[in-house]
Amino acid sequence: MIDYSVLYKNELPARDDWPADVRWDIFVSAYTAAERVRTVYEKATASEKHWLVFPEYGFSANTFPKGAFASPLRNEAEYVKAFWEASIGDVSGRSICIDITGFIRPYLIFLLRWLAEKKVARFDALYSEPDIYSKREQTRFSDELVVEVRQIAGFEGIHNTDTSNDYLIIGAGYDHQLIAQVAENKEFSRKVQIFGLPSLRADMYQENVLRAYQAEEAVGRNTTDESGSFFAPANDPFVTASVLREVVGRINARKPITNLYLSPLATKPQVLGFAVYFLTEQRNCPTSLIFPMCEAYNPETTTGVSRILKYTVELPGL
Amino acid sequence: MNETPTNPFNITKAVDFNDQEINDYWVDIPSGEGFAAMAKPTSPMPMLILGGKGSGKTHLMRYFSYPLQRIRYGKDVLGGIKKDKYIGVYLRCGGLNSARFKNKGQSEEIWADVFAYYMELWLSQLMLTTVLSAVNGATELEEHESAIVLQLLNLIELSHREPPNTLAALNDVLRHLQQELDGAINNSAITGSLPVHIAITRGELIFGIPRVLASSLPSLRDCLFLYLIDEFENLSEIQQKYVNTLLRERQSPSSFKIGARMYGVRTLSTYSAEEDNKEGSEFEILRLDTILRENEHYPEFAKRLIVKRLAEFSRIPSDADSLKAMAESLREAFEEPQKGKFSAPETAYVVEKYEDRERPYFKSLRQYLELGFNGGATPGVRGPTDIKKILEILSCRDYPLLEKANLFLFYKEWRSRHDLLVAAETIATECRSYILGEETGRYHRSLLHFKADLLAQLYRETDQRQRYVGLDTFIEISSGLPRNLLIVLKHIFAWAAFNGERPFRGSPISIRSQQAGVMEASEWFFRDARMLGRDGQIVMDSINRLGTLFRGIRFSEKPSECSCSTFSADVSRASDAGRKVLDLAEKWSLLIDVGGQRDRNTERIDAKYQLSRMLAPRWDLAIYRRGVLALSAEELNSVFDPQHISEFDGLSEKRVARMRAPFFGNKSIGEIDPGEDLRQKLFADQDHD
Repeated sequence: MIDYSVLYKNELPARDDWPADVRWDIFVSAYTAAERVRTVYEKATASEKHWLVFPEYGFSANTFPKGAFASPLRNEAEYVKAFWEASIGDVSGRSICIDITGFIRPYLIFLLRWLAEKKVARFDALYSEPDIYSKREQTRFSDELVVEVRQIAGFEGIHNTDTSNDYLIIGAGYDHQLIAQVAENKEFSRKVQIFGLPSLRADMYQENVLRAYQAEEAVGRNTTDESGSFFAPANDPFVTASVLREVVGRINARKPITNLYLSPLATKPQVLGFAVYFLTEQRNCPTSLIFPMCEAYNPETTTGVSRILKYTVELPGL
Repeated sequence: MNETPTNPFNITKAVDFNDQEINDYWVDIPSGEGFAAMAKPTSPMPMLILGGKGSGKTHLMRYFSYPLQRIRYGKDVLGGIKKDKYIGVYLRCGGLNSARFKNKGQSEEIWADVFAYYMELWLSQLMLTTVLSAVNGATELEEHESAIVLQLLNLIELSHREPPNTLAALNDVLRHLQQELDGAINNSAITGSLPVHIAITRGELIFGIPRVLASSLPSLRDCLFLYLIDEFENLSEIQQKYVNTLLRERQSPSSFKIGARMYGVRTLSTYSAEEDNKEGSEFEILRLDTILRENEHYPEFAKRLIVKRLAEFSRIPSDADSLKAMAESLREAFEEPQKGKFSAPETAYVVEKYEDRERPYFKSLRQYLELGFNGGATPGVRGPTDIKKILEILSCRDYPLLEKANLFLFYKEWRSRHDLLVAAETIATECRSYILGEETGRYHRSLLHFKADLLAQLYRETDQRQRYVGLDTFIEISSGLPRNLLIVLKHIFAWAAFNGERPFRGSPISIRSQQAGVMEASEWFFRDARMLGRDGQIVMDSINRLGTLFRGIRFSEKPSECSCSTFSADVSRASDAGRKVLDLAEKWSLLIDVGGQRDRNTERIDAKYQLSRMLAPRWDLAIYRRGVLALSAEELNSVFDPQHISEFDGLSEKRVARMRAPFFGNKSIGEIDPGEDLRQKLFADQDHD
């Protein structure tokens, strides 16, 4: 069994130049209006650099960088495949870096599955932490107009007809409406929430809990007792994956889970952790990743760059 | 330090209960043969069980499912099934994850076939698992199993697979087929292809398993095999069409109960020559929340529901007599305002609070009179002395409610442009007669109709919270949806515990805790009712506008309707978009269809809707339905049609302005063009109220 804690995580300078050996063949980032996303793109050294423009951010053609990949496709699989065919092609022997900061979650999650399909065994992921969310606990990342709650392509799992001990593990983020919608969609499942602690910044955990509390009625009984809430560092995908393993193990020890739903609504590093955990341990199991698909996302929700983290992610062979 | 008591109302959803708890917390409606008579589990006619969120569909359907039969009958479950004459197989559509059966480079037709096949595999496994559990160890199974399996294998095309020889092994085969299909669907997002071999014809196993089992196993011979398909709203239109086809092509001894939210049935169409299923012919409907709301025994049912919770949590005897005794004394668990003549005890605080200052409603009247006087709209008033006199005449210091009644009648007279000094004198005389016991006449009638509104205004004007208190109020607020009742009580209990009270154990729960709990529950209902997508936002915005309009009317000086939280309209004259939003609001239980209403002028029968009583506290509205606001098509569109919402403020203002002093919707003297007939313009409207 993989030990997530030995996976590599380090920090890159937020203001100074990066070391010369930090370079890749392919660099991919999602375009937003946030300063931290542009800073990283400018600092990164790569043979090819690609901007992805997601339709949910609502950028018009004259507002994003020339040469960026833009497509109206709103299905994560179709979008990523179209990008890959148009801009990347064969990746054997090439090093890849993905700045996950501006990615919309379902696209990022599917991209991991796609990389694994393309036999990419290892890639770097960057995440830049903000100084602050612009409206603190009132920050809205999405427009909260959930179009549908569904499984993410490639993470649909196989299923059990016995649904008597289904579980939903929510990576609880700031968008309480999203938490409520996903909990509502899997109403019959027992719910567990994982909060980001330590949070990205000292005050963010409290803000996170304040928002999540508003979804309390939808989430239901299991958050009222001790076993309903767990914690994983907001900026560490590998510890997040470990915590998921621990939570699932603990529940299974009490009574085997019939179907497991994972819904990563929190920070991008935690999203990465959920996807890595699924690909590594839950493929071909009655487990799936579900997400409340929103009509639009706010392209600018933070100010500043406090630090830049680099994760070396290892993917299993499929 | 006191320990926070466990809230017995914490669990408000059947999905949060395990099977044992579903059984333990079961409460039947105390009329006739209860829910069984309504849901008819032994009837071969398929049934749609429709209801709003929290109406008890899941609880009801699970109650009829095999795991609950097993709990009820213990070791002799087979005997129990024979007695019940049905075996219930429960399926949650949410578990199918139906949204994956689309796109991925495949046509709609392919997905329709794949979904039908998947359902066949899924339902068949559930049926086999259920029956195997029921007949486990029975000698009849041992005797007939090989023959049963052989018959069932004729219904499946197994190709290269080794044929199973037991029902358990057959179930394993079905599970493998289903999981292979899961894998193919999952991979199709990557590969763009969907290599599926459909091994079973539609309905063959779903109807075949019950047929073969009933003909082979004596103990199941007269048994109905009941598929309880819950959360139907989770299926797309095409997927529902497949299930509708199963209903239409139903074969004995199988039948269906389909549980859906009211908005959840997307189509009645079938694949049988594209014909629609018809109510009464292919299925019947049980509208659960309507039945509960209109059932005269609902209050009794609600009380039973509460005492059952309290009994289970407190581990006190839950036999019928104990529960009945608890239910009878339940009202006493909630503090209510002290009742008294002319509501004197509950308004005594006004006397005290404004002992040495002007009462706010008199302050408003004085300001209106001054403003009206300057605008030339105060008939009979000659100056400040008359204004002072009017205020003195209308005063009734010991009875603030009667002062409010005096002002209500005064504003009515003012709107009808009568001499205000004379009007004030007349009202004061009527008030004195009323105090002395006069029970006829308009003063008595006004209080009979508008007392709740006048008290609501009084609370608002004196900075008090509205008083949604007492058990009967909570039952009424729940509008036939048991979950609403539990959520109201959950919040009240939590507030009472927070305020250091001992709910249901010590003194009655304070009015303060009840008010806070009801308000929190109302806010939750509003947030929670929001449906997915853009339509959800549009519906919520519409409900917001409607609530604002009702509030404007209720708190105007001369409301045209009493306890106004209901409107009527000729919906056929509204725009398509307006009708659609109205329909959605009803299906999401935000509006309740309360029958027809004859229009005053045209004799036409208009549709009539009440704003959900759960939402009443959000806008300080009445929960008991009395007056009905007739809306024109134009007004209806401004509330419900997104294309017309810009007209709402103007139309609403115009409507409410007619009930507001000092001009009652007419121009002030400064707004009238020179040369216009002054008197006519000031009082252009006739008062028909």
